Amino acid sequence: MKPTFRKLIPHYLLLCLVLFFVLLPLWGMLSKAFENPDPGSFGALANFKRAWTVGKFGLFFKNSLIVALIVTAISVLLSILSGYAFGKLSVSGKSLLFPLILLGYMVPFDAAIIPLYNWMRSLGLTDTLWALILPQIGLSVSFGTLWMSSYFESLPDELVDQATIDGCSRWQVLWKVLMPIARPASSTLIVLIFMWTWNEFLLALVMIQKESLRTLPVGLAFFQGRYSANIPLMAAGAIIVALPTLLLYIFFQKQFLQGLSSGAIKG
Amino acid sequence: MKKKPFLIIFLLATIILGACQPKQSTPSEKQTLVVWDQFYRDEESKVIDQLNAEFEAKHPGVSIQREVKVLEDLSLTVKLALANEDGPDVAQVNQGRVDMGALVKDGLLLSLDDYAKQYKWNERFPGTLLARNSFSEDGKQFGTGHIYGVSPTAEVVGVYYNKSIFAQHGWAVPTSFDEFLDLLAKIYEVGIVPISFGSLDGWNAIHLFSAIQHLHVSREYIDDFVYSRNDVSFDTEFNLKALYQFYDWVKLDYFTPNFQGIGYDASNESFKKGEAALTITGSWLAPELLTGTDQTFGFFLLPGYEEQQALAIGGLGIPFSIRATTEKKDLAAEYIDWMVSERAAELWADAGMVPAMPLPKKYKLQNDTLFADTVEAWQHINANNLVGHYIDWATPTMYDRLVFWLQRLLSFVSTPEEFIIGISQEYEDWKPYQQ
Amino acid sequence: MQNKAKRYPGESKWKGLLYLLPALLLYLIFTFLPILETIRSSFFQAESLYGARSFVWFQNYIKLFQDSQFLSALRNNFVFIFFYSFLPISFGLFLASFLARVRVPGMRLFRTLYFIPQVLSMVVVGVMWRWMYDPNIGPINVFLRWLGLEQFAQAWLGSFTFALPAVGMAAAWVQYGFCMVLFLSGIQRIPEELYEATSLDGANAFRQFWHVTLPGLIPELSVALMTTIIAALRVFDLVFAMTKGAPGGSTEVTGLLIYRWAFELNNHSYAATMATVLTLIILLISLVIRRVFKQSEKGAL
Repeated sequence: MKPTFRKLIPHYLLLCLVLFFVLLPLWGMLSKAFENPDPGSFGALANFKRAWTVGKFGLFFKNSLIVALIVTAISVLLSILSGYAFGKLSVSGKSLLFPLILLGYMVPFDAAIIPLYNWMRSLGLTDTLWALILPQIGLSVSFGTLWMSSYFESLPDELVDQATIDGCSRWQVLWKVLMPIARPASSTLIVLIFMWTWNEFLLALVMIQKESLRTLPVGLAFFQGRYSANIPLMAAGAIIVALPTLLLYIFFQKQFLQGLSSGAIKG
Repeated sequence: MKKKPFLIIFLLATIILGACQPKQSTPSEKQTLVVWDQFYRDEESKVIDQLNAEFEAKHPGVSIQREVKVLEDLSLTVKLALANEDGPDVAQVNQGRVDMGALVKDGLLLSLDDYAKQYKWNERFPGTLLARNSFSEDGKQFGTGHIYGVSPTAEVVGVYYNKSIFAQHGWAVPTSFDEFLDLLAKIYEVGIVPISFGSLDGWNAIHLFSAIQHLHVSREYIDDFVYSRNDVSFDTEFNLKALYQFYDWVKLDYFTPNFQGIGYDASNESFKKGEAALTITGSWLAPELLTGTDQTFGFFLLPGYEEQQALAIGGLGIPFSIRATTEKKDLAAEYIDWMVSERAAELWADAGMVPAMPLPKKYKLQNDTLFADTVEAWQHINANNLVGHYIDWATPTMYDRLVFWLQRLLSFVSTPEEFIIGISQEYEDWKPYQQ
Repeated sequence: MQNKAKRYPGESKWKGLLYLLPALLLYLIFTFLPILETIRSSFFQAESLYGARSFVWFQNYIKLFQDSQFLSALRNNFVFIFFYSFLPISFGLFLASFLARVRVPGMRLFRTLYFIPQVLSMVVVGVMWRWMYDPNIGPINVFLRWLGLEQFAQAWLGSFTFALPAVGMAAAWVQYGFCMVLFLSGIQRIPEELYEATSLDGANAFRQFWHVTLPGLIPELSVALMTTIIAALRVFDLVFAMTKGAPGGSTEVTGLLIYRWAFELNNHSYAATMATVLTLIILLISLVIRRVFKQSEKGAL
């Protein structure tokens, strides 16, 4: 039975009302960012240009991109392997190892940050991007392992059995049989880890002191201290930080939302 | 202490992972001096750029890698950066327990005593002012011991007034505190905001309260309080009186409406536009008020009660220090000497900022300018031994606590009496650590 | 979760571990080991940052539980649970059940847009809402003045009454998109027959919600509660970007205090003590939620 449009009016009203509150701050920022402080100079993108060069957002962007790409690539790869181990292979000591990894997903980063800082400093790694990349991988693989293992576990064992009978090794089973099916789960994981790494704040605040190595969120936070009175410039900076994750999300949104809701329940 | 076993595992793991080796500095004739400063406002920044360029020109092969940060940014990062092997060679480090004191305690700053002799810095700056940049070697005694920093600029906290508004209403610069109070009332009556203020950032509220406090305190008291000497207390009659004065102004609505939600920069922005008659802050704001506005401004010291000469918050600006582990100590010291040279004084003066070192003899001070006002104010308190202190230097957590209590006071959440109890407690709790 | 996977004849029993090893090692070194060291260092005290430290038993903990600053920060964290968790979940539930059984064309688009705040950096959210709350040019006060309600326009983030809820509302703005997406997809899983059966019994909308929708959404509720409560307890970047704990500590949270004590005041062991306590609280709450929902899930089926 298809409801008539008239019946749906209250539903749409409510949906639009909520949408208004969701989009209001975003729209406000966007319109502020395009406000021209000095008509006739750079045109509509003046604020962005200024944030990019004077505010060094171009530099921060590069750092964020390096960190996020390396972390995402390594974490996702390792999580697939470890998720496969938990989901479809026999692992001795699993009952012990599994909760151990679950712990990493639940505790706050504050719990690890102080020793991490001290150790990184004694190795001379503070103020290098490695100080962001390595801990971020360590944290991401804990979630990634849980995520991939619950997905692999939900796949029928017969798939593995059949492939093994056909002569596939364990390695081949993973890449030739399981991964093609697991593409939605792994792409959701890619998006999630990329976003978390991109938006990570505390680690980047503590480990990096040089301005030239800052990532975008920390750059924005300090930019705010300097240009708090210049709202259009702040808005442009905020949009530069937000745009990559936003685009990634919109690009993958169908798979992402589905994968997220089903994956979250399994985990 | 036993070596941390975890650290060893961590170290091995990081090497096995081949993550990377600590960077090795390649030896070459070219030397790079890494300098962190907090002169981020346009006018100040130009001065430093100019000085750096001239320094490079005088030292072929030396290049200066400058990093400019907002003070808050600098305070958060410089402590960690000075512990790095490739941290800044020269950096501005705020005086006081929480910044310079902590760094000295951890052995991260170089004592500048020898260089001070070599370059005769003590002739350029009065000893009482250099004491503010001094700590004992263990970082416990403040205001004595070795010199750890040299400041290029001087600071004095006073009252900026909008000359255009004053002329329009025929108001004059007050000469006593009572006159000042009358003036505030007059301004309020005509519907202008008397004092532009924003307490969201917190730190400038300390200056405002303490500026009033300085009218009441003695030279000895404020020295003892900041340096934690002679067992003084915060719980005094005059501190309470100063708090009540501040509290009254809030009640009388003398500050910018909704000042609790306005930041320091936004408050200055509005003062610059002529939306208030006065603002109370330090001489560092002066260069900002010279450009980009059609209003003209002047500066005067908060006038004291008639019976005594009033102290004013002030002193040397944030000093340049040298990282203890740098290999370019001599070059760094030479750089600092350049930053406090006569040439530097001249450039600062041109930018409208009061230099810490004496102005060159040939320098002509133009009368009746904002710069002349701030220089006169500084020379007055310096010559008469009336240079007060930033009270948040007193303990490592004093800054935090003062902001905490002031924001409570300004929103009528706490009373002046509770404020006194809170800060006294803070101060007493700190004393034992100092021994 | 049971371990059904089996080894093949002649396969080494270490093979599974081999696949696990790289991830496990990185996790152990860069997350687990540091957590252990945090706990260990909470029993020590040091004169200076890089100097020797001495074992002091529970002295840091005793000091911590008398520290009014810490206790009020912890209290604020719990207040944040209302904004991070309770508000978005109840709103998400309301909306999801309202839209539950009607096919609304264009629903996917709405769902996609609602989720947007969740993908933004918390610093971006902070910058955005600081502007929203600006006393002079912020849209909230501008709107109030436009309505002629000048007396309600105020310094939101500078006010002792409103700063905490104001930051909280920004957090709720972020969190409820996630809750809603979860619930909307969960509700599609509930078999239509259950609703029809209750309709025949003459149950009203509320009873339907209580007896069909809510039990059906238990797995989603458990996930939503867990994620949002953990987020409320570990909040750092949002407060850092919006208020840094001001005014007068009224938006101070534990994460901010840990950062201050560790990296501004250089007392690593005291900060580690706070971090340990916070971690224990988070673990405890997670375990309780897991247990409660496991039981009610069984009961519901």
